[in-house]
Amino acid sequence: MEKKQSGSPPSLIDSTVVPGDVVLDLSSMTNQTIMLGGGLRQDCDAISVMKAGTLRFSKPNKYWVESSQKRYTPCVEDTVLGIVVDSKADNFLIDIKGPVLAFLPVLAFEGGTRRNIPKFEVGTLLYLRVVKANFGMNPELSCTDASGKAAEFGPLKDGYMFETSTGLSRKLLSSPTCPVLEALGKKLSFEIAVGLNGRVWVNAATPDTIVVVANAIMNSESLSGAQQIIMVEHLLKNIQ
Amino acid sequence: MEGRLANAWRLTANDKSFIRTALLSEIRIDGRKPYEYRKIVVKFGREDGSSEVQLGQTRVMGIVTAQLVQPYRDRPKEGILSIFTEVSPMADPSFEPGHPGELAVELGRIIDRGLRYFCYLLKDLIEAEVCQLYSSNPLSFLFPRMYRAYSVESKAVDTESLCVLAGKFVWAIRIDLHILDNGGNLVDAANIAALAALLTFRRPECSLGGEDGQEVIVHPPEIREPLPLIVHHLPIAITFGFFSNDSILVIDPTHNEEAVMGGRMTTTVNANGDICAIQKAGGEGVPQRVIMQCLQLATAKAAGITKQIKEALYDILWYHLLRETTLETGELKCTTQKEL
Repeated sequence: MEKKQSGSPPSLIDSTVVPGDVVLDLSSMTNQTIMLGGGLRQDCDAISVMKAGTLRFSKPNKYWVESSQKRYTPCVEDTVLGIVVDSKADNFLIDIKGPVLAFLPVLAFEGGTRRNIPKFEVGTLLYLRVVKANFGMNPELSCTDASGKAAEFGPLKDGYMFETSTGLSRKLLSSPTCPVLEALGKKLSFEIAVGLNGRVWVNAATPDTIVVVANAIMNSESLSGAQQIIMVEHLLKNIQ
Repeated sequence: MEGRLANAWRLTANDKSFIRTALLSEIRIDGRKPYEYRKIVVKFGREDGSSEVQLGQTRVMGIVTAQLVQPYRDRPKEGILSIFTEVSPMADPSFEPGHPGELAVELGRIIDRGLRYFCYLLKDLIEAEVCQLYSSNPLSFLFPRMYRAYSVESKAVDTESLCVLAGKFVWAIRIDLHILDNGGNLVDAANIAALAALLTFRRPECSLGGEDGQEVIVHPPEIREPLPLIVHHLPIAITFGFFSNDSILVIDPTHNEEAVMGGRMTTTVNANGDICAIQKAGGEGVPQRVIMQCLQLATAKAAGITKQIKEALYDILWYHLLRETTLETGELKCTTQKEL
């Protein structure tokens, strides 16, 4: 009998799963290494779901559950938008919508030394990368990429920041480009920075462009691709 | 301490300056014009006297209950109206659980003032403004007009009709406002919730009996249809936000705008053009002509909002009508349904 890729009938990949669902039966798959991501747990031979969401699979052997929340759980190598809350001797305290504040070491900048520590006021918006995120500890951030270059990280000037769910931020960063961003990009010119912690920053030449882009993105969460394009056309017609 | 800081909502420096710059070109961050209200949705619960109002993201629930109590000594023939506000941290992380903060108390006071007291006529105030230009005392414009207004206008909720036995029993109406979600402009939403709940509330009918006519018999709703409260007019609270650059004015500020604005003022007016209350607690000063402009804007808006509340009530009144006819005879119920 032909074995399906998921290994257990019916295939639950890309469908909604709830805690308790068994998605894989390891006894029917021998000599395979499976990698489990968030939301899945191994109980002897059965892989069961721990978090409600959509089950995803990526070749060759990665499974995980994706869900969308308002709160963010810090993960290593995520790019996030943080707001400066306080500055201490060694770290800046940054709010990244997680359970606790995160630390940004004062030296974590390109060419950063004790002599040229940047001065960030309370309320500055920064584009950052998560370096360490262990359970129970404050996450650590950095304003450089893995090789130490600045690479667009750092403070964002002007513009407007709004909050969304984590699912919408992932959709905005997915490739191919999200339909709402494509439809907006055809008519308007703007700059956008998306944080995986559910924050989006938009900047454009005129305030009404910024407002249109922000509202279009906020409205697009529950719409399908075609609906998003129609919504954007509607919004653009109203302002022109 | 760090844990608490992590939960607070913060506004970035970018947002603060963007909101101000956008307002210079008369653009608000949710796409509204400066004098536009958010969408108001009024819903009612299954019980009489419960309402839920949504003003954009702001949600408030209002519940009205009544109890027979002894009246106050100095007002033996009047019922009692009291308002209680409850805010929970679910609505906004800055609210503390348990004891109500300044915001909750101020909200309760504004709504209470609108419902309880007499109101001034707007046209009197405009006349007074002209007089004041020629007088040296800045407060002189208030006094001559107050006495005329008292004799002409009436309170919103008629407390004299709540008296059952003078000096012994009156109805005490209690309005509980629960703030469910704070998306900005709680006062207006809470006011609409209180009004909607008052309009659908029904109190039991009671009559005097016993040997000396001193006993009060409260009839259960199955025997005698409960009665509505007498509400003379609907005082609608309209909140304005002031921004320091070029004295920009917005109506119905959202949560973000409230964090940026320099001052606020709430005017309670009704659809007839009467002013019931004005509240301006602190914040930056505004010139008198701006206050007059706000009052005129508020009167225009109040008419629209009153109409919306009455339209939302229409469906509930149909339900009450059906209920009344069911009580009288079962057969009448069928004919009403056919007509519908």
